[in-house]
Amino acid sequence: MKNSIVLMMLFSLVLVQACSVEPVPLVYGKDMCHTCKMTLVDTKFGAEILTKKGKVYTFDDMNCLLSFYTSDYEKRSNIQQVLVIDFTAPGKLIDASTAHFVRADAIRSPMASGVAACSTAEGLATHNTEWNGELLTWDEVVQKIK
Amino acid sequence: MLALLGILVCIIPAVHATTYKIGNQHNIKTIREGIALAKAGDTLLISAGIYREGNLVLEKALTLIGENFPVLDGENKYEILTVHAQHVVIQGFRFIDTGIASINDLAAIKILESKFVSILNNRFENTFFGIYFASSSDCLVDKNQLTANAEAEHQIGNGIHLWKCQRMTIRNNRIKGQRDGIYFEFVTDSHILNNYSEGNMRYGLHFMFSNDDEYRDNTFINNGAGVAVMYTKGVKMIHNTFEHNWGSSSYGLLLKDIRDSFVLDNVFKENSIGIFMEGSSRNEIKNNEFVKNGYALRLQASCDDNVFEHNNFRQNTFDLVTNGSLVLNTIKSNYWDRYEGYDLNKDKVGDVPYRPISLYGTVIERMPTAILLWRSFFVFLLDRAEKAIPVITPENLKDELPSMIPYDLR
Repeated sequence: MKNSIVLMMLFSLVLVQACSVEPVPLVYGKDMCHTCKMTLVDTKFGAEILTKKGKVYTFDDMNCLLSFYTSDYEKRSNIQQVLVIDFTAPGKLIDASTAHFVRADAIRSPMASGVAACSTAEGLATHNTEWNGELLTWDEVVQKIK
Repeated sequence: MLALLGILVCIIPAVHATTYKIGNQHNIKTIREGIALAKAGDTLLISAGIYREGNLVLEKALTLIGENFPVLDGENKYEILTVHAQHVVIQGFRFIDTGIASINDLAAIKILESKFVSILNNRFENTFFGIYFASSSDCLVDKNQLTANAEAEHQIGNGIHLWKCQRMTIRNNRIKGQRDGIYFEFVTDSHILNNYSEGNMRYGLHFMFSNDDEYRDNTFINNGAGVAVMYTKGVKMIHNTFEHNWGSSSYGLLLKDIRDSFVLDNVFKENSIGIFMEGSSRNEIKNNEFVKNGYALRLQASCDDNVFEHNNFRQNTFDLVTNGSLVLNTIKSNYWDRYEGYDLNKDKVGDVPYRPISLYGTVIERMPTAILLWRSFFVFLLDRAEKAIPVITPENLKDELPSMIPYDLR
């Protein structure tokens, strides 16, 4: 009896895990930007929207991400997480809501948004001495970048 | 008097120009020495040999001519030549093995804020970016050959890369194995003529925010995703060949947010999708040959006021698919090899309209897995039934004047 309860619990744990939504790494050279249809190639830029049902939308640049995010194509309430690529760690996805952003003309992003993201403020500071860009939080990015 | 003065001004620098010979057998052994010694207007004649000089910076109006293709070696570390000057000519060199960097775009030749630069008849092998222009104008890139062997797209840069330029001419080049063969971003009033772009990882030609340009007589073959022309108005795409661009997200030509442009006299052959159009308006697609494509045209409902006229559609799996029911484009007087109508008055125009959209094509658009049923008897029956009584396919999407005979286009 006790064994079967343990088994049941284990089984339900497996079920819960199977339902949880996990970020999917971007595959550069294969994945296509949902907005602009370009193949992702620049590993310093990129983003991903994860829905609660586990659907993944990939983007090559912040403006492509935001034109999708601010449209009603997928309701905000359905979005589980927004992830962006860390400029200083190519290919690494980080949570957008806690990320630090900088916008500068000198940043050559795939769709010319000129926005780079990083998990820490210091990570961008060294690059930004050269760029002289504007530091932004996620909420500011959502308002300003189109 | 003024004319005489003009002639004098032209002659004076020519008189003072000196030619320096550079090479192992000459007094000046390195190109770096030569550049330091020379004055604006001088010529450096570089003998055959291998030159490993790291990054050379050119900031005066010099003509560099290679004899029998001297090799400039980047040793997999350096950007080879950086130009920041006017009236520079670089001719007859072999550039090999630049460095690869993810933050800086290292190039064999990088031209920054320059004017009247000519890059003629050079060869580039395994360079990260080949020829890279930024904020320049009135330059010429003629008869260069670029080849690269990269395994992944992000390990290789673009062949000929232009960013924020005006009045540029890119002609007679051959580009193979780069990320994008030719890349235009914010480039206006420029020409891309008679280039051959083959086997590039992503696009044969990539074109963004570049208004009022023209590309003509180019061949784009076997590229990862074909050719992409995006977010631009006033482009002329004339007499090009888009061939064999195969893959799930691959097309001969992607037109995304394009306005007031022309697609004339081109050949689209053996592509997964001949033309993929999204968010594009007021374009003319005329006199093109669509042959043996998966989809000849894939027209998203976000397109309007486009005219498709006088094209040949032959041996395509699907002539046209769309994802909406509203028809805002004009399709007329094309030749469709699937047309089964008749011509009683013998005016070479079919008497009944042709509907280029098949029911099965529409079904696949909504449910891609239905491709399994392709060429089955079931699909044949469905298409016949739909032709007789259109239910799902857009009723108004038809060619009222289908030509009975193919046009002689090329």
